[in-house]
Amino acid sequence: MTRLRIFLFRLWALVRARQMDREIDDEISAHLAEAAEEYVQQGLSPEEARRAAQRNFGGVAQTKEVYRQVRSFMWLTEVPRDLRYALRTLRKSPTFTITAAATLSLAIGATTAMFSVLNAVLLRPLPYRSADQLAMLWTEDPTQNLREGRSALWDVEQWRGQSQTFADVATFDSVSTLLTAADGVEQIVGASVSPNLLPVLGVQPIVGRSFSSDEAEQGERLVLISHRFWQARFGGSHDALGTTLVLNGMPSRIIGILPADFQIARLNADVWQAHTTHRSVRGGQTWFVVARLRPGVTFDRAQAEMSAVARRLNDQLPAADRNRGISVVPLSLDVVGPQSRLALWMLGGAVFCVFLIAAANVTSLSLARSTARAREIAVRAALGANAGRIVRQLLTESVLLALVSGLIGTLLASGGIRLIRAFGPGTIPRLTEVSLDLSVLGWALAISLLAGILVGLAPAMTAVRRNLRLSAEEGGRSVSGGTSSRRIRRALVVAEFALAIVLLVGAGLLVRSWWYVTNIDPGFTPERVLVMNVSSPPTFSVPAQRADLYRRVLEQIQAVPGVESAGIADDLFTDNPREHVLTVERDDGTVSDRLRLTRDEVSADFFRTLGTPLRRGRFFSIEDRPEAPPVAIVNDAMARRSWPGHDPVGRRFKVGPRESDGQWYTVVGVVADMHRQGLEREPLPQIFVSLAQNPPSRNVDLFVRTAADDPLAMAGALRAAVRGVDKNAPIYGVAPLEQQLGTYLTQRRFQTSLLSGFSVVALLMAAVGIYGLIQYSIATRTQEIGLRLAIGAQAGDIFRMIIGEGLTLSLIGVAIGLMGAWWLGRAGSSLLLGVTASDPWTFTAVSLLLTAVAIAACFFPARRAMKVDPIVALRVS
Amino acid sequence: MTPDRSDVLYGTLGLMVIKTLEALGPLHGYRIARRIEQISGNQLALNQGTLYPALLKLEQTGWISSKWGTSESGRRVRIYALTRAGRKQLHQEEAQWQRAASIVERFLKISQDPS
Repeated sequence: MTRLRIFLFRLWALVRARQMDREIDDEISAHLAEAAEEYVQQGLSPEEARRAAQRNFGGVAQTKEVYRQVRSFMWLTEVPRDLRYALRTLRKSPTFTITAAATLSLAIGATTAMFSVLNAVLLRPLPYRSADQLAMLWTEDPTQNLREGRSALWDVEQWRGQSQTFADVATFDSVSTLLTAADGVEQIVGASVSPNLLPVLGVQPIVGRSFSSDEAEQGERLVLISHRFWQARFGGSHDALGTTLVLNGMPSRIIGILPADFQIARLNADVWQAHTTHRSVRGGQTWFVVARLRPGVTFDRAQAEMSAVARRLNDQLPAADRNRGISVVPLSLDVVGPQSRLALWMLGGAVFCVFLIAAANVTSLSLARSTARAREIAVRAALGANAGRIVRQLLTESVLLALVSGLIGTLLASGGIRLIRAFGPGTIPRLTEVSLDLSVLGWALAISLLAGILVGLAPAMTAVRRNLRLSAEEGGRSVSGGTSSRRIRRALVVAEFALAIVLLVGAGLLVRSWWYVTNIDPGFTPERVLVMNVSSPPTFSVPAQRADLYRRVLEQIQAVPGVESAGIADDLFTDNPREHVLTVERDDGTVSDRLRLTRDEVSADFFRTLGTPLRRGRFFSIEDRPEAPPVAIVNDAMARRSWPGHDPVGRRFKVGPRESDGQWYTVVGVVADMHRQGLEREPLPQIFVSLAQNPPSRNVDLFVRTAADDPLAMAGALRAAVRGVDKNAPIYGVAPLEQQLGTYLTQRRFQTSLLSGFSVVALLMAAVGIYGLIQYSIATRTQEIGLRLAIGAQAGDIFRMIIGEGLTLSLIGVAIGLMGAWWLGRAGSSLLLGVTASDPWTFTAVSLLLTAVAIAACFFPARRAMKVDPIVALRVS
Repeated sequence: MTPDRSDVLYGTLGLMVIKTLEALGPLHGYRIARRIEQISGNQLALNQGTLYPALLKLEQTGWISSKWGTSESGRRVRIYALTRAGRKQLHQEEAQWQRAASIVERFLKISQDPS
């Protein structure tokens, strides 16, 4: 109650501060006048009376100062004064200010840019209604090492029917789609979705409407288009609604336009069509499944329920399929996988380490400066400033410095954000959503304030402690007050080295992984190979037409000057191969097995064009005509798995269960494993069949090995050659094979180069930190060094003493840092490839590097210390 | 740096002020200062100036109130008066002081006895 009263009183005083100032002036002058009058009555002269009155009263100015402090919130009235004073001091020492501000703004800028990435990719919810209730459902089979597999519609229907925890379940998949327009045929990305996908996600078309399940049943072809497609094709006009698009040769009516940037689990299609469901068929095409939890249901509960559902369903399955499980994965975890998450948190942590090192350096700088400012602070204390007042003054200074740095840092960050959006790896999802929004600005402000307090606190506390001592010591010239600040600075240097080594070890391990990955043999030679995707026009519905088209395209391409060879395959790179049942003939009988594999039709020259080595048997040849016995080539992984310890050449297999009437193939050759999911993933079993003997797919990858060093230079001529065969055959995705393979490495390159960059910065800052400390310690110890020299120490002893001081600090830091690095390395070990988290080479090399840097940083100050002239040094005192 | 003794000072000074106001009724600052000097037999060498922050603090707490009036010599001065809450507080503090003083007194006597 009393507290509140005082608070209100002070608040009131704040409002009428000016009037209250006048009133206290009046009151004091009245007091002095009354006193003087009394003294005059006692017989003093008016002048003596006035002086006596003032003597009894004490300092008028001090009284008013204390009065003001009691009257209102003292700090509030002092802030502007502190700010003015801080500005003046910072301006007076431009070197310190610029160095400190530059260091802090870089550090704040880097953390802010990094935070904006973390915010957009990891923290901000996905753009769906209550996105935290959405889950991906996957079929898995641990015995087949099958995780995150797609699911058949029949299964999905069972799940939907038996589940209590899910409100609804939707399915989707991408389909390659040919769009026939006035200017020719074009390949676009299409999606096939269950009619309830949009309601499940809680997304509304911005124009028009979504599918209704009745229409899907009626088989009417309706399509939703993406915002991007709408802008590009229709210029954003509402006339688009009701227009008919010819997709894969079938007219489809546009009924709605999706919101900008709408996508689901990385599927970012231009046209979205509802698929008609075949509920009675088990097996068949498989789909991605997304589901919405009922409100209040946890993922754990949903997982428990789905596991039970999976067990029930297993009982109805053939014995070979009874290991099926269902996994429930939060959609957000699916969009940004654990690898990307870990990498981003690691980078975030690294930036924060750099920030801490920068703050430590600036703290160290301002500690040195506050020692030099001891006299100024002593004067302020003598004039009546108490401890809190001095701390506040120094903190105002550092916070002001940090806020200005924060402002510059935010500008730097906004530039950095633009760079990240432009050049960041496309494999990190949601990176284009990175922006400088309110929460990022809030972060910048918070981190600036933190920096200001971190940087200002140690100098302020030591200043106060020193002052207590100085006032006792009268003279106040002694530097003994520097010991506590030097102790703090030593601790800071140790901390900097510890943080720096953690970053360096991390970077070292990533660089070793990078070397390892880039030295993996992809199983083909990507240099000088150009890839382009060619589709057959929608009118080519008979497989023989397509086979004929591809044969003629190959002939034309091979006739182009500068082409060494050309080949065709379905798809070289595959993200999510499907699982198949495979029946193989072995010595011990015919075995059926379910496994994830790729199966492609390839032309005779495909392997020669890619430079894939043949291990056994032969490549395809023109002898493998359609009427000849069907032949196949398998890769090493497939050979090892299906015919372990035996030569597969001459053996037979078929795709499908034992009793199915699938085509039997005879293996004629074994090729090296190709890394078709990027270098970092183990090659899967692969089957290649002859393009001539099998119906080819609607679109294929065309590979051309050129004589030119830059295969892209041939793109025009090759395009013309394909057009020459059929001008309606869409061509897209023309790129050098090297570049396509490289995109699998962009994320690794991104994290490796960023962490390396951060650790170099950390190293430099740690070096600057130890240099500054040693330099300063020598400056304050000039007398001591002079004295040592005067009583017989050799220059070499001084040198060793200084180097030893630096070395001790850096070694302590290195020791602490190595422990931290060892511990953190294990946490991040899933980012490493071909190197263990406690790789002794990295740890040793990094320790040596850091020690060498420490010695180098101490070398120059130590040399200068050797040259101290004892006479001069001692005369100074 | 001088240690901050003001709180102790305000404590005792505040008590003296409200006791003075209870005994003499509403007074202006100079009169209060003189009265305290007289009572303490000029042993309390306090700067009269320190009185004003103390008065302000008492007013904030609500134990005294002030209004502008005229002194005996006709000057415009601020006149302070004890409030009801201040009177209650005074009785409490008087009792407390007396208890504390008697304890100290007894304590001093005991420690003198053995000699």
